[in-house]
Amino acid sequence: MAKTAIQTSQENQPVIQVENVSKLFRTPSEGLISALQDIALNILHGEFVTVVGPSGCGKSTLLKLIAGFSAPSSGRILCQNEEVRGLNTKVGYVPQESKLFPWLTVEENVGFGLDSKRYPREKREHQVQQFIKLAGLAGFEKYYPAQLSGGMSKRASIIRALAYEPAVILMDEPFGPLDAQTRMVLQDELLKIWEQKRQTIVFVTHDLVEAVALADRVVVITHRPGQIKDIINVPMKRPRNIFEIHRQEGFDEAYGRLWKIFRHELNIGTH
Amino acid sequence: MSKNISEENSRAGTASDAAVVQSGGVLSMHGFGVTIIRFVIIGGFLLLWEIASGRWIEPFLISSPSRILSSLVTGFTSGDLIQHTWVTFQEIAIGFPVGAISGIALGYWFGRSRLLAEIFEPIIIALNGIPRTALAPLFIVWLGIGLWSKVGVVFLLTFFLNFFNTYTGMRQMDREYVDLANLMGVKGWKLTFKVILPAISPYVFTGIRTSIPFAVIGAIVGEFVAATEGVGFFIRMSAGIFKTADVFVGIIVLMIMVIVMDKIAERIERRALRWQTQTEHIQIQA
Repeated sequence: MAKTAIQTSQENQPVIQVENVSKLFRTPSEGLISALQDIALNILHGEFVTVVGPSGCGKSTLLKLIAGFSAPSSGRILCQNEEVRGLNTKVGYVPQESKLFPWLTVEENVGFGLDSKRYPREKREHQVQQFIKLAGLAGFEKYYPAQLSGGMSKRASIIRALAYEPAVILMDEPFGPLDAQTRMVLQDELLKIWEQKRQTIVFVTHDLVEAVALADRVVVITHRPGQIKDIINVPMKRPRNIFEIHRQEGFDEAYGRLWKIFRHELNIGTH
Repeated sequence: MSKNISEENSRAGTASDAAVVQSGGVLSMHGFGVTIIRFVIIGGFLLLWEIASGRWIEPFLISSPSRILSSLVTGFTSGDLIQHTWVTFQEIAIGFPVGAISGIALGYWFGRSRLLAEIFEPIIIALNGIPRTALAPLFIVWLGIGLWSKVGVVFLLTFFLNFFNTYTGMRQMDREYVDLANLMGVKGWKLTFKVILPAISPYVFTGIRTSIPFAVIGAIVGEFVAATEGVGFFIRMSAGIFKTADVFVGIIVLMIMVIVMDKIAERIERRALRWQTQTEHIQIQA
């Protein structure tokens, strides 16, 4: 119960602070391009934030900067009040493709991040089993990634990042390549797991419905220069029903605001 | 080899659909036919050889299957051939693993350190340009006519193939696996053995398996240059006194050596790479 107390005291505390971050890239064809410009964003503890924008707008770049895969050209990023320099081991990362380690079984993949935590064996196994069950992968513990379907490896990839309980989980369009049905099922499962664990999630997507359906807040990024256009609160109640998300109170309003921004961006007439 | 192919096909078949599994049955019938035809060809060739020898061609030029067989038996019963085989085996048993492991280790190291690779890569490529068997006489000068000069040649031939394959693997490897593992707090030995080596293992095994015949070549070339025992010595000596049957006996022994080593390596590879759905055949020439 002590854990709950700590969590409440952490609530409304930013875990990630992005302070005026810009990122420039040099490309052979176009010279210097600005992928991100003056991004300022706080992500609170336990929050589910989605980042939405057209492809190539720099939303994945933002995740890579938070993970410390590359450094910002200017500005800085704090994670739990410490500046990110080099790889940020406080975050978990779910890449676009599942990127499970193909030589490890599902079980070994999910437990991979737990090793550096030096849990006792029993706790480790319990943790792995719990997440495998949550993701509906029970019975597939000994399977290799090559033997799994696309949806299953996606699930495994997500719980691999969740299982070792990093402070923040970054997800880079994880459901992008999946078909519409599998996508919905996985969104539903992700929300269910999240509601139990309440880990902080930053979720990048280009799908507006997905962005609204999952998020507490939607960060809208525009195309070149990548700037934050707006941050939309989604006051929909939880738990949410993904399969009937359109009928839930608050969806239309949030989606409407989002669509207005994008309609403008895409130059599809205004009225 | 055809067994491998049909096994692979049937494995792929179970994964995709029933229609392919059925054709897998047809395939094994086909495989059976192929085996029969192959044995007929080999048998016919041996028979022709036996007939030709002494009738159309002098036996001291081509010997004959029956003569070779009896030489093989006397060679082994007298213990002479066993001693030669043992010597060659020792040379390979030391030179091959040492060469393979140091080649893999250096390939790994170069892959990890950009600076090291930048400095040494041109040097290694230049050294690789040397026809390595031409160095065998030098090894005799340096290490004497005993075991160690041959170990040196075996090492040299094994080392480069393993180095180049491993290094290629390091460059082709998906960096994202390393990044992800690092992000999960995994580094050092665990990163090496749980992430990087498994990721490049298909390349490493290609290196090991392509270097097996070269290890044997190394030992034989060393023995050809200067030796007092070993299968290479036995072949050269037998040819010198026109005991052609014994030359073939030596060749058969070497052939068996290569096949046995390759089978062992194949077994290990299958086990180590069982996570792959199908074997990707990577061929890299050094």
